[in-house]
Amino acid sequence: MQEKRTVLVAMSGGVDSSVAAALLVEQGHRVIGVTMKTFCYSEVEGPSQTCCGLDGIMDARSVADRLGIPHYVFDVERDFTRDVIDDFVSEYAAGRTPNPCVRCNGNTKFRDLLKRGEMLGCDAIATGHYARMGVGEAGDPVLRRGIDREKDQAYFLWGLPPELLPKLLFPLGALTKPEVRERARALGLRTADKPESQEICFVPTGNYVDVLEDRLGADHPSLAPGPLVSSTGETIGEHEGYARYTIGQRRGIGGGHGRRLYVIGARPETREVIVGDFDEIFRDELEVGELNWFGQPPREGDEVELQIRHRAVAAPAHVLAGDGDSIRFRFEEPQRAVAPGQSAVVFRGDSVLGGGRIARND
Amino acid sequence: MEPVYLDYAATTPVRAEVREAMLPFLGETFGNASSVHRWGRDAKLKLEEARGKIASLLGARPMEIVFTRGGTEADNLAVLGRSREMRGGGVVCSAIEHRAVLMAAKAAEAEGAPLHLLPVDADGVVDQEALTDVLSPSLAVVSVMWANNEVGTIQPIGSLAQRCVEAGVVFHSDAVQAFGKLDVRMDETPVDLLSMSAHKIGGPKGTGALFVRKGTRLAPLIHGGGHERGLRAGTEDVAGAVGFSVAAELAMRERKAQCSRLTVLRDRLQAALVERVPDLVVNAAGAERLPTILNVSVPGANSEMLLVMLDLEGIAVSSGSACSSGGVNPSHVLTTMGLSADIAGPSVRFSLGRETTEGQIDAVIAAFPPLMERLRSTSGV
Repeated sequence: MQEKRTVLVAMSGGVDSSVAAALLVEQGHRVIGVTMKTFCYSEVEGPSQTCCGLDGIMDARSVADRLGIPHYVFDVERDFTRDVIDDFVSEYAAGRTPNPCVRCNGNTKFRDLLKRGEMLGCDAIATGHYARMGVGEAGDPVLRRGIDREKDQAYFLWGLPPELLPKLLFPLGALTKPEVRERARALGLRTADKPESQEICFVPTGNYVDVLEDRLGADHPSLAPGPLVSSTGETIGEHEGYARYTIGQRRGIGGGHGRRLYVIGARPETREVIVGDFDEIFRDELEVGELNWFGQPPREGDEVELQIRHRAVAAPAHVLAGDGDSIRFRFEEPQRAVAPGQSAVVFRGDSVLGGGRIARND
Repeated sequence: MEPVYLDYAATTPVRAEVREAMLPFLGETFGNASSVHRWGRDAKLKLEEARGKIASLLGARPMEIVFTRGGTEADNLAVLGRSREMRGGGVVCSAIEHRAVLMAAKAAEAEGAPLHLLPVDADGVVDQEALTDVLSPSLAVVSVMWANNEVGTIQPIGSLAQRCVEAGVVFHSDAVQAFGKLDVRMDETPVDLLSMSAHKIGGPKGTGALFVRKGTRLAPLIHGGGHERGLRAGTEDVAGAVGFSVAAELAMRERKAQCSRLTVLRDRLQAALVERVPDLVVNAAGAERLPTILNVSVPGANSEMLLVMLDLEGIAVSSGSACSSGGVNPSHVLTTMGLSADIAGPSVRFSLGRETTEGQIDAVIAAFPPLMERLRSTSGV
């Protein structure tokens, strides 16, 4: 039997965090539920579809009530806007492709939970992420992938403050999504059959460009038409605004070019979107900045596995060079759509060593 | 520890006697008090008995009592009703009024009425000279609360009302916190309008009353069938009115004994916290206060987490701070009293009531100081 702890559990109102809270209660911990209010709901029109909306707060409260645990709402809107939404917008404006959930986990959600947990005398922090905590050779805590590889969310967690690891609990890490839904039904939780929330919580329409247009203005250079340029430098048409495109994308380039073209990059300073053939979206080297490591950083020559998108497979790579600020990797095999701004997460087996933001792909 | 409820200024449990008195009106005595038939007459009789009881407790006439859906509605009727009656006549109120008065005054202002806020001193006492300076016959109403809901400061109502009488200006007082605890008498104080609420004194929520001194003209806010002398349309809530009258009777009967008992407990809590929590500030310490309220600030404690932590530890209290977009706004009462945000923010209001025991106060005295120490040590940026 595990020791009894006082656990602060983040509850979005979705099925995952609801079951996470329920499991902690079952295990006999003293559980405190919190929902983080991340943005101003009144600015969002219509019913909120995503997990963190106002409905989410009511769902979380109802689940907490059913579990017999206290529930509070923490307002993190100011920090969330600064660290996540502003970053999201400025990254797109700079021609990159951000990971807002990574930013939120690393800069806002977990840091805030840690701080408030300390104030409330909690000795553990839990969320409904599909990830696991394991123990390394030196007895140190290790962040690992969840058992359910379909749902695994370790990719989103590389930015957590390392000092948080000893306090982390991921009650769902050893379960599959169907098992979690089954648990939710067995517990009679009203969130059991709630649909998956795939969207970004502050993009209620499901189209991130709406947020960019709202925050930057529809006539911002990143959203205004510009030249569509081939990889050999010829202007072959016009695009609708470089922030509307992501590396690897085919849609929205228009036809009539005589071949299938893919976005391979953007140059914000000239508003150019660069397109090329399918093989040109593959890259074998990348430079990663804004690093975060849970243990010792990998050194030159180290063999690791590198995951560059949520849905991508972690691919073998080795460290070419690195210092404290940035690190350069070379893949064994070229990888598709290495997008600056996205997270590059460093694994060894199913353990997360850390990661960073892709700065360059050349 | 056993959970301790120290939030009686927010609301109180309905007293058993009150519940008992209300039950017939949720059962067989269901008539509409405006109906001609015997069901209606029965209801009307009880409604008027309730009105009469409250009037006599206040030293008022039954016809001067208008039942409302609570204290907020009574405040709105007084402030906005006066301003509209005077077709945009000016409104003066203290800067530390409850939002029910402040927002009604702002609504009057939006309709074109000049609004003036009276300053208070560091203990929350209204500046009487500032009132004298702005008194003029063009004013629709002056509104100053009898006792403040956050810090407990009791205002010099008699003297303020007298100044208004002399200037020929209608005076309203929000007595939601004072009624049932202090000597609130309309035959001794020249107040023209007085707001009361049932649920602060062991009565049901959703019932209140406005005392309207004979001859004081008001524009109704709710229009309809001419109930409550045309000042508050809508079928009367007989159960609520009866419950209110019983609660008021009991409160007045027990008032002196409870006040002296709770003053002792409150002072003991205050002295112990001052002694055991370094740098603790007692707000409005120099004022004459309600015996039931103790408001303290714990500089250096995270204001947003203060109430959460106390709730988790079983201490139910309030703070005047309001959560708003992106953080916590310190109470307007404390900031108006001149407190800086770092003192006004981390404030706690303990409010005691009839069910509060010595053992509960001792439990809070034991639990509170170490909690504040932990919160302070973890609140650092």
